[in-house]
Amino acid sequence: MLVSWKWLQDYVSLKMSHDEFVERLSRAGLNHEDSRTVGDDLQIDLEVTSNRPDCLGHIGVAREVSVLWQTGLRVPSPQPAESGPPVTELTKVAIECPQRCFRYTARVLQGVRIAPSPPWMVDRLATIGIPAINNVVDVTNYVMMECGQPLHAFDFAKLAGPEIIVREAQSGELFEAINHKTYPLEPGMCVIADAERAVALGGVMGGARTEVSDDTTDVLIEAADFAPLSIRTTARKLILHSPSSYRFERGVDPLGVDWASRRCCELILQLGGGRLAQGVISAGQEIPVREPIVLRLSQLPRVLGIEIPADEVQRILAALGCQGASHDAASVTVVPPSWRRDLTREIDLVEEVARVYGYDRIPEDVGVPMAPSHRSDEDRVLGKVRQVLLCAGFDEAMTASVVSEESAAALSPWTAAAALQTSTPMLKGADRLRRSLIPSLLEARRVNESLGNPVIELFETARVYLPAAGGLPSEQWTLGVVSGGDYYRLKGVVEAVLAALRPGTRLEAVDTRQPLLDSVKSSEFCVQGQCLGYAGELSADGLQQAGLRSPATVAEIRMPVLVELADLIPRYAEQSPYPAIERDLNLIVDESVRWASLADTVRRAVGECLESVRYQEIYRDPKKDGAGKKRLLFSITLRSRQRTLTNEEADQIRQQVVDACHQSHGAVLLGA
Amino acid sequence: MALADFTKQLDDLAAQAVQAFASAATAEAVEASRVEFLGAKQGRLKAAQKGMGAIDKSDRPAAGKRFNEVKEQVESAFKVASERLAASPVAAKKKEGPQFDPTVPGTPLRIGHLHPITQTMEELKDIMGRLGFSVADGPEVEDEWHNFEALNIPREHPARDPLDNFYLSTASTATGGKTALLRSQTSTVQIRVMEKTPPPVRIICLGRVYRPDTADATHYPMFHQMEGLLIDTQVTMADLKSVLRLFAASYLGRDVHIRFRPSFFPFTEPSVEADFHWDGQWIEFGGAGMVDPQVLNAVGYDPEKYIGFAFGLGVERLCMRRHGITDIREFYKNDVRFLHQF
Repeated sequence: MLVSWKWLQDYVSLKMSHDEFVERLSRAGLNHEDSRTVGDDLQIDLEVTSNRPDCLGHIGVAREVSVLWQTGLRVPSPQPAESGPPVTELTKVAIECPQRCFRYTARVLQGVRIAPSPPWMVDRLATIGIPAINNVVDVTNYVMMECGQPLHAFDFAKLAGPEIIVREAQSGELFEAINHKTYPLEPGMCVIADAERAVALGGVMGGARTEVSDDTTDVLIEAADFAPLSIRTTARKLILHSPSSYRFERGVDPLGVDWASRRCCELILQLGGGRLAQGVISAGQEIPVREPIVLRLSQLPRVLGIEIPADEVQRILAALGCQGASHDAASVTVVPPSWRRDLTREIDLVEEVARVYGYDRIPEDVGVPMAPSHRSDEDRVLGKVRQVLLCAGFDEAMTASVVSEESAAALSPWTAAAALQTSTPMLKGADRLRRSLIPSLLEARRVNESLGNPVIELFETARVYLPAAGGLPSEQWTLGVVSGGDYYRLKGVVEAVLAALRPGTRLEAVDTRQPLLDSVKSSEFCVQGQCLGYAGELSADGLQQAGLRSPATVAEIRMPVLVELADLIPRYAEQSPYPAIERDLNLIVDESVRWASLADTVRRAVGECLESVRYQEIYRDPKKDGAGKKRLLFSITLRSRQRTLTNEEADQIRQQVVDACHQSHGAVLLGA
Repeated sequence: MALADFTKQLDDLAAQAVQAFASAATAEAVEASRVEFLGAKQGRLKAAQKGMGAIDKSDRPAAGKRFNEVKEQVESAFKVASERLAASPVAAKKKEGPQFDPTVPGTPLRIGHLHPITQTMEELKDIMGRLGFSVADGPEVEDEWHNFEALNIPREHPARDPLDNFYLSTASTATGGKTALLRSQTSTVQIRVMEKTPPPVRIICLGRVYRPDTADATHYPMFHQMEGLLIDTQVTMADLKSVLRLFAASYLGRDVHIRFRPSFFPFTEPSVEADFHWDGQWIEFGGAGMVDPQVLNAVGYDPEKYIGFAFGLGVERLCMRRHGITDIREFYKNDVRFLHQF
């Protein structure tokens, strides 16, 4: 809200400096945005919160000043002379959509001389950035900026009837506003119409056809109260906003409507002459009576933490316009003023008293009781997972939760249900809640490639949104990883994550087919029979689809399984005091023999004193071993809990392993 | 032997030894001279020492004294020569094969970086944890009751405008017919906690929130918030101010002052903007206030018995100010050179 320093002084004395003025107002609720000189006046920009439409006019701001500095407030009392015929002989008003227009008042002035406004009015309007048009239009703007009530002046001769009908727009009805743009209207929008057509978009903007021009002599002054939601919907739909719609969206003072109408007429008579018809036509609902509110004085220390003297409480409420203050020792009862529709409850009064009394009086050093706090398991697990990824050389990325249709369709391993969609796109073309992190991470990799970054190892922990029938979606915390390394690099990372959370747990790799991924160099991961996630190198098609130049591998893991598996408080296990013995094995097997099944055979063959089986490498020598064969090099570590194993025992076990592998997999020991 | 002869013999020996050690160019030459002059069995000093027996008894003290002087001189010359050669690049040059270069960089270790937003949130969780606030979590896709009604935002309120929220399109929503949207604040989690547990409640919730906005240097349609909530039987705005002060002081590392400016939020009454004083100016911290009695009613708490405060701040804004980041879009671009700065 732009305020003129000079204009404000019509209503309240400003003895303080500008700086003191803006500082104190900011501390009481009207935040100072900016000030600048306009001519010989000062324009001050104050931020008015949406619950204080009473401050969208100079009188409202002046009232705040009078409350804060405890100075008198001067509000004009317009009583314009009514020398014309009864207004009811001149026109009539009907409201056909009472849910959109609560009240409509009309006054008529005849024989007005349209002329430029006097310099004092032009200057004041200029200070707050409103251009001068002519005396009648300027007065409507002036009064709106004086008290916050929007007004409109119609060229009375151009109103068919002449009558005013407040109704819903008809489907397809066209309307040319004073900005000379034509708008297609629809039902739900409130229009001011005459006997033939819409002449104004109620509460938003007047029409070009009936606007006051140099030829106008008779004027109808509209002062009305429109439903906030209706105004807002209309303005947004048509993308047509005005200082008028702004005020109606926030609500106007029902008792201020007539004051504004009289004030407007008074000033027009002053500046343009003419005769004011007698009386006012007023249609609409009855103005509701404000209920009294009881403020229990005990609530002030209860809420604020400070005591405020009862007489100060009463002074503040009275200065703000609250009426009929009665009180007893324990409470104050007031009726809030009509321009403060935000004051309806005791707590609202507490806030009023507090902000005027001063929040600076509330101490900032009271002792706050201590309390325990506990870190959740999910948080701990997430912390460990991130730690492992950092150690593995991955950087944490953060990508948008809402992606494009194309991205959402690229890969969806966790659900077959279609991605949820937003009505408004979040970013250009992005309106699907993602079901996988991988497409977003691949895009991040692509961006990094295009920037020429050589090493791009990224991970993200975030939710994916899996639609659930009949309710809100299931939001699954997921770990996504994208790397320039190969399948084994990411499998190693996943194994490391598992080892950090539950050492000794084996990761099983199961064949899978996923879009984007190479059909061979990928697998699903399971732990203790539960699906944990998957990893895979991108296929050539996948790389192309992702716009990537270098090979890339991805992995995605769901966190809830990790949280369930995690052993956050490991228990000590006694270590065997006896030394371990290692034996190496080099077995020649068919290509089709998989490590996991061979390792299982080894475990079964050795039994209890097998401490570990350690895979070393796969080696191929077709010349020596023939085609379709590979060598699995691995070692076994043996240790007993009861005694030191002898070399002979170790050799014997080794032989058991070789035999079992031969029996189950046709493995042949190298050199045998 | 006459003392004079003995002394001359020693002087000659000393001069030769000093000359020999001074001119020794290699470790081997130093060693050879050492053996020649200082050798325990065949050294010339040893030989000279044996010759002391032929000197008159009365001259022996003088002879012995001169002998000791010479011995020290020769030993000193040997020490100097040894040290000279040990430090000499000449000695080093004489070594064969590859040389150790300590100036070559150490074996690189690539350690990843946490995203700066995560780092900020971890620090906030830490600080608030120490103040006795535990972390609560909740969904990002919310229904209207949790995101609006329960927060005292009725149907007609501008905050519910379809252009100001990411509502899920009804065609794609299988949410049992209820309208769903991406949450516009983390206060939804506070509602969920309060409706499930009786007071006292002392929590923070952090996470992603969504508000339609064109992406530019200071706006992004997705960002992170942290909100705190404390509900108990006796809580005042002084407690709120004090907690914010403790928080700000912990975050900035030194004592700060807090200022309240009146504001308006549907879910708090009184509502304030909290600022903290830093570097000679007041800086916006975030919104705060006493939880509106309507909100307490909505979750089944009796506002006559219970009272409390809530506060919230934007994580991106805090992170940008601390690190001097000027474009919010950097957070979501994930250029690894950006990530590696934090």
